[in-house]
Amino acid sequence: MSTAVLDAPVGNRPLQVMRLHVVNPPLQLLMPWAVLLLSFVVNLLVFSLVPDSPDDARVSGGLLTIYIFTLVAHLVTMTQLFPFALSLSVTRRHFYAGSVAFVVLQSMLQGLLLTVLAAIERASDGWGLQMHFFDLPFLQSGDWFTRWLILTVPFLFFSFVSMAAGTIFKRFGQFGLWTVGLVGLVVGGAAAVLVTWLGAWGAIGRFFVDTPPLMLFAGYPAILAVLAAGVGWLFLRRATP
Amino acid sequence: MTAVTMRGVTKRYGDFTALDAVSLELRENTIHGLLGRNGAGKTTIMQILTGQGFETAGQVEVFGAHPYENARVLNRVCFIREGQRYPDSFRVVDALNAAALLFPNWDAGFAASLVEEFRLRVKQRIKKLSRGQLSAVGVIIGLASRAPLTFFDEPYLGLDAVARQLFYDRLLADYAEHPRTVVLSTHLIDEVSDLIEHVVLIDKGRVLIDEDADVLRGRAVTVSGPTAAVKAFAEGYTELHREELGGFLRVTLQGAEPAPELRSEGLEFEPVSLQQLVVRTTQTAQLDDRKVGVR
Repeated sequence: MSTAVLDAPVGNRPLQVMRLHVVNPPLQLLMPWAVLLLSFVVNLLVFSLVPDSPDDARVSGGLLTIYIFTLVAHLVTMTQLFPFALSLSVTRRHFYAGSVAFVVLQSMLQGLLLTVLAAIERASDGWGLQMHFFDLPFLQSGDWFTRWLILTVPFLFFSFVSMAAGTIFKRFGQFGLWTVGLVGLVVGGAAAVLVTWLGAWGAIGRFFVDTPPLMLFAGYPAILAVLAAGVGWLFLRRATP
Repeated sequence: MTAVTMRGVTKRYGDFTALDAVSLELRENTIHGLLGRNGAGKTTIMQILTGQGFETAGQVEVFGAHPYENARVLNRVCFIREGQRYPDSFRVVDALNAAALLFPNWDAGFAASLVEEFRLRVKQRIKKLSRGQLSAVGVIIGLASRAPLTFFDEPYLGLDAVARQLFYDRLLADYAEHPRTVVLSTHLIDEVSDLIEHVVLIDKGRVLIDEDADVLRGRAVTVSGPTAAVKAFAEGYTELHREELGGFLRVTLQGAEPAPELRSEGLEFEPVSLQQLVVRTTQTAQLDDRKVGVR
């Protein structure tokens, strides 16, 4: 008893941070799926009541909810979990490494689950109702791996963009976030004016139509996700809890 | 062994100087009291020592290295802040599980018994807890982490007297069994004066006292009696405080020793409590500041 508390082995910090993300599984993991399921059931009910009309495709936008959930969840990762983790003596580097690994794993698994559901939807002729909930017409492309990428990468994109936003908030406060928002608004507005002036809206529309879904939903978002992850790390290094 | 060394550490926020060339050393396996008024710089010091905040200038060493992004150092540190925030979705049990995951010396049995003693319900959402219960969560994490360097930043906010006593008792008992370096930032000085072995008093970002508590207690004495006799005795000592009523004078003197043989002249000697000493020292420092300002 004469010596100080001995140093027990610490273990793999990034792995521990990954587990920290699921320390409260119901809210963190199951809630988004519960809401998505609810949205799915409501859609099923509605489409089973609406009379069949061959002209209108039965497409639902309910799938978007789970991506929005991811967006919010990982904003909270930086604004709430990061300060807490730091008070539990995790370094910023280990917190970010663990969180990035968690986001990648979470995106891959959620993408896989959605791919399976989309396959079931396709095989069951839209749950017997010709409904498109998971297997959206504009996402249908290529083999199952391509479809998995198309459903997975948006998770990465939303997660890392929202983590970057959360980091900017922690580093520069509300003022920083407002500044980024305003700059984004001004740049976007200027771009819109420029496009109108050049009469290029048609070309932009064609870009979205002509670009294959793999590039539009996986390729470009992947590039942006990597950029956002880099920006997040850049600001996190000097962020305070 | 020294757990913490700060040399000339300055922290500025814009044109506000939070820490002004702070130098101090914290011995290993000692309970330190980090004392000072609100806004004196206590939290800033702890943030810098845990790599959560950044010093503007100066040298910082914790267990022989700078703490910023240093896993080897931080693995041995626990710092639960005053008003520690937890993720909104967390229940008490989630916070404790997270701490169990990340603190290598975590004692789950100890944590469970503390939960019971502080009368927390583990399934309750932390967001819904009262101020005192929230403090209790921080106290439990700080104690059960058994980190070789543990900071308690005003851990008692909202805790009732019974719970505060419980905290002091458990801290002392566990410290006796598992010696470690504890830094207790507080302004309830009287309550912890039996607990702390070493005192660091800061005011306006400067160190006013950095001394062992025992030395400090013997460092000043309050003497009271007839004005003339007290004045004669006080000659040559630094006066920390003076109260005068009619022909009766009561002064707190720094460096003076009680002289029982002077009782015959009507002089009474009383030891000075740590709290009084801290209050007087802080007031005297402020007086000096004002004098400098006038000049």
